[in-house]
Amino acid sequence: MMQNHKLLLSLSVVVGTLALSTGSTLNFYEESLPSSMNPMFAQSMVDNRVHELVFDRLYYFDPITNELTSRVVERWELADGGKAVKLFVKKGIRWQDGEALGADDVCFTINAMLDEGTPSPIAEKQRAVFSGCEVESKDTAVVQFTQIFHNPLNQLGFYVLPEHKFESTAIQPDDAFSNRPEGTGAYSGSMGRRGVTFGAKKNAHHEPRIGQLSLQEGGDPLVQVRTLLNNGVQGIVAVPPPYRADVSASDELSLKSYDLRSWWFVAVNQDKPYLKDKRVRQALNLILDRTDLREKSIGVKPGEQNSPCEFISGPFVQTSPYYNRSIDVQPRSDLEQAFVLLEQAGLTQTGGRWHYKGQPITLRIGMKAPLNNEAPDLLSQIGNQLSAGGFDRQEFRITVDDWNRQVLTGEAEDYDMVVGKWSFGLVEDVNPLFHTRNGGRGALNIFNYTNPQVDALLAQYQSAKTDTQARDAYHKLHEKLDDELPYLFLWKLDTKSAWRTEVRGNTIAPYYYWTAVDNWKYSP
Amino acid sequence: MSRWYWTGLGLAAMGCVLIPGFFAPEHLSPSDLSMAYSSPGAAPPFGTDSMGRPLLEYALQGSRVIALPSIVAGLVVMFFAVIGGLIACTGSHRLEAITRAFGELLGALPRMVVVLIVALLMPPEDRSLYPIAISWALLAAPGAMDEASAVAARLGGARFVEALRAHGFSRFRIYLWHIVGLNLRPVVARQGMETLMQVVFLEIALSYLALQDTQPSFTHGDSEMSWADLLYMGYQAFLEVPTWHAMQLGIGLVALVALATVCVGRAVRPR
Amino acid sequence: MNSWWIRPLVRLVAAALLPVAVPGILTALIWALPGDPASIICPPAICGGTEELAEKWNLHQGPWHFFSTWMKAALSGDLGNSWRMQPGVPVVELIAESVPWTAALVTMAFIPLVLGATGAASRWLSDKLDPLIRLVGLTPSVVLALLAAAAVTIHYGANAYDDDAMRVKILLGALTLGLADAALSGAVTGVRGLMEEERKQRYVQIAILRGESVLSNTLPNVLPAIAGQMRARLLHLLSGAVIVEVVIRIDGLGDLLWQGTLTQDFGVVLASAFAFAILSAVLLLGQALVEIGVALHVRRSPKGVPA
Repeated sequence: MMQNHKLLLSLSVVVGTLALSTGSTLNFYEESLPSSMNPMFAQSMVDNRVHELVFDRLYYFDPITNELTSRVVERWELADGGKAVKLFVKKGIRWQDGEALGADDVCFTINAMLDEGTPSPIAEKQRAVFSGCEVESKDTAVVQFTQIFHNPLNQLGFYVLPEHKFESTAIQPDDAFSNRPEGTGAYSGSMGRRGVTFGAKKNAHHEPRIGQLSLQEGGDPLVQVRTLLNNGVQGIVAVPPPYRADVSASDELSLKSYDLRSWWFVAVNQDKPYLKDKRVRQALNLILDRTDLREKSIGVKPGEQNSPCEFISGPFVQTSPYYNRSIDVQPRSDLEQAFVLLEQAGLTQTGGRWHYKGQPITLRIGMKAPLNNEAPDLLSQIGNQLSAGGFDRQEFRITVDDWNRQVLTGEAEDYDMVVGKWSFGLVEDVNPLFHTRNGGRGALNIFNYTNPQVDALLAQYQSAKTDTQARDAYHKLHEKLDDELPYLFLWKLDTKSAWRTEVRGNTIAPYYYWTAVDNWKYSP
Repeated sequence: MSRWYWTGLGLAAMGCVLIPGFFAPEHLSPSDLSMAYSSPGAAPPFGTDSMGRPLLEYALQGSRVIALPSIVAGLVVMFFAVIGGLIACTGSHRLEAITRAFGELLGALPRMVVVLIVALLMPPEDRSLYPIAISWALLAAPGAMDEASAVAARLGGARFVEALRAHGFSRFRIYLWHIVGLNLRPVVARQGMETLMQVVFLEIALSYLALQDTQPSFTHGDSEMSWADLLYMGYQAFLEVPTWHAMQLGIGLVALVALATVCVGRAVRPR
Repeated sequence: MNSWWIRPLVRLVAAALLPVAVPGILTALIWALPGDPASIICPPAICGGTEELAEKWNLHQGPWHFFSTWMKAALSGDLGNSWRMQPGVPVVELIAESVPWTAALVTMAFIPLVLGATGAASRWLSDKLDPLIRLVGLTPSVVLALLAAAAVTIHYGANAYDDDAMRVKILLGALTLGLADAALSGAVTGVRGLMEEERKQRYVQIAILRGESVLSNTLPNVLPAIAGQMRARLLHLLSGAVIVEVVIRIDGLGDLLWQGTLTQDFGVVLASAFAFAILSAVLLLGQALVEIGVALHVRRSPKGVPA
């Protein structure tokens, strides 16, 4: 009798725990609310992370094995002499409303991207990659490319959309789908005014263990960390560096790395006459004291071990195979050398201020406004250093909308310099940043930088058939950019997430974050 | 207490708020991390921020941001209040009806949104409090006109003018001295001061909202600080950051503006 | 000639025009903003389809075309979908979920104003309290709102949008709105001033000598002015609600308007402004009706009160 009672008690504890796990809500802070739940209109990293919960990408890199794999494709074959791939969709996968996933959904997604009536920069980019898609059978789709890619599956990292949810392939941003999406991902999502709630959805290929997730807009980082410490939330996706010490000091929290391959930069507008000469840009590079900037805005003291913030000399993180280690970083300023370069470039100093053709130079520096949370006061610190270097300056914070509309499209001609951050996944393709803007290339070239030699190196990368060829091209690019300085490269900054220890198995995938969310467990 | 006492106190308070702005530095001092979060005792007169920069500079820059625009807004409202009072003395029902209708329309506009849109219209390099202050003044003018016309109506409106004309005074003297100078003065001055105060508080509110939403400032260049930065810093004191001195300074400045308004109101009250 | 009807007529006309004029004026203003929503979502430099999107949203033929199309649809109940603030959500839904919060906030903030005005009119609220009320009224709403926001954040953390927390926010927000920015002090001192002025009138002294109550004699005369004052206070509360809702994070109409403006979500901005305009129009209508009612009462009254 006693044995039965004990067994019953144990069982009820187990069941209760399971019930708690599946019925509990995991709350976390994100940097902001997503701009849209439709992956076709993703504009930020927040969007990418949210979409990873709700949708499946056709192919993705496994965060643990690093292999390119798929949850929705059973197998694939090359077709049409390498210009197409035949995909065999797995059977039994259902959309969150119960409809079956099929080849028609894959082709619908590609056709939507190709449809000129879909006003999406993401779709626009994909039009250079895909030329069409045919449904051969219920579970077989033939995806056609515009050219032969040596790694075609790398091009299939887009999210699959449900055909039955749209009236046509011309997808609109204000469609109801943008707020109440249907995916095949581990969670269904619904966006409210203050947050997004996600409900677990079991599927043939997903078995999430946490019943509900709740995303909330972060706001003040200090408030976020305090709330986390008080167990008001269970996680923060990106903890700004100044607050990481508070998180580390707590036994109830753990700081986890989030591989985002982010690096910070100051882009320089070479269309300005006084910035055309590369000696001026090199002088600006020497005026910046990165060690001082890092200490004051990130909080990393000189000589600190295991710093989350490493200086860089080119457009890659130091751990990247594309980073050219022969190019040194510039950790400290060298005003003497900077002044020599400025004088050689024809600038004159009057009353401690640099002049170009008799006119005093006032540098207009902008920075994407939300970055101030990660690196408080960075803009004014850069301004102070430029002032110490003899330049007047005006500082501007640029809204996200203006950043997307003007800066990224090369229309920020009013600024002399802009401070920003790029983030990359495992594929670090910097071509859009430095290629001459034309015909869809150089889509993210901030100040319309143009250099035929750089274009040639980028083309070399694009046409590389092996990883070695790609690496060589980018090594040369790094060297060239270090000389030309369209950007003053600052640092790579590790991104860290903070989670309470009650959250277990929380593997954070590079870039997309939630790829392995099925393994996450939460027992409050 | 005598009127002169209130006048002196009001002017002193206003002077403390507005004049220092003319001596504000263009940019904040370079950082000195060794002085971070210093109290007023350690870094007089007002202590420092998280970068060791004196809060005095915040106060000075904030004063520069609000000084002239708030005065201009006050003058705009005073002007309209005078117009409203004078219209009530003309005896023209049509003019009164038109003014009233226009005032109702303006008064019904959601002020914060109009002000925000005006703020967003300005190019980043031209961001200042002026357009916001003038917009606010225009939106507040109908209320001032109403009150001034009520005062004029209590005088007797057109009949008051007629009576004084019968005494041999010129229209110019009647309107400017008897009506505006002697009778409308209290309401006009009070409305002007209240608008000045409202514009200062509006600047603080808009700057605070911009800080909260990580937006560029609506009212000043991003290299300048506003009094809202002090309040925002002070808010962090509730989260155990040692910034109580910032909160005290921010609230102290707000109180100074309120004091100036009260004193001027008392100084110009009707006998 | 007796022109008592001019004021109420002007108010009635203004009330009729407001729901059209306010969105119209705002359309003209937001049209001047740099960029447009279509080019924010799909910048022409990196995205085709901007023009088609602009056409779909009626942004391609100038502000009048946009406004007239929007107005026609709005009058038939179709406010469209949100473009950017909450893409895909019908604006009607957003308004419907916002109005109750703002209504609760403003109504609760209005209660102390009504009580204060009544107390001042009937003199049970001593004028010795006026300096204290004025002092509190000098506090800007943003200061009280941020204190309230701090209290909610510290206490509720991530649960700050649960029902419990929202109730506390409404209460704190109402206190902020009702006390700060001279809301309560304005109501008290304004009504007190009106009543005291009226009490000095000879007819009131005569009424007292005749044994009549002061209120029954003065109320018909001051009611229009009091109605005007209270309407102004309500409008002031509605305007101040934007700041309070944004700082304390209440999902009301003011916050909707603010977010819509920041994101250039024209549909949301116009719809919220439309809602505000209707509220203002209702208040104007109320005041006009009070004025008409009082004027008719006075004209019919045999008690010798001036018509």
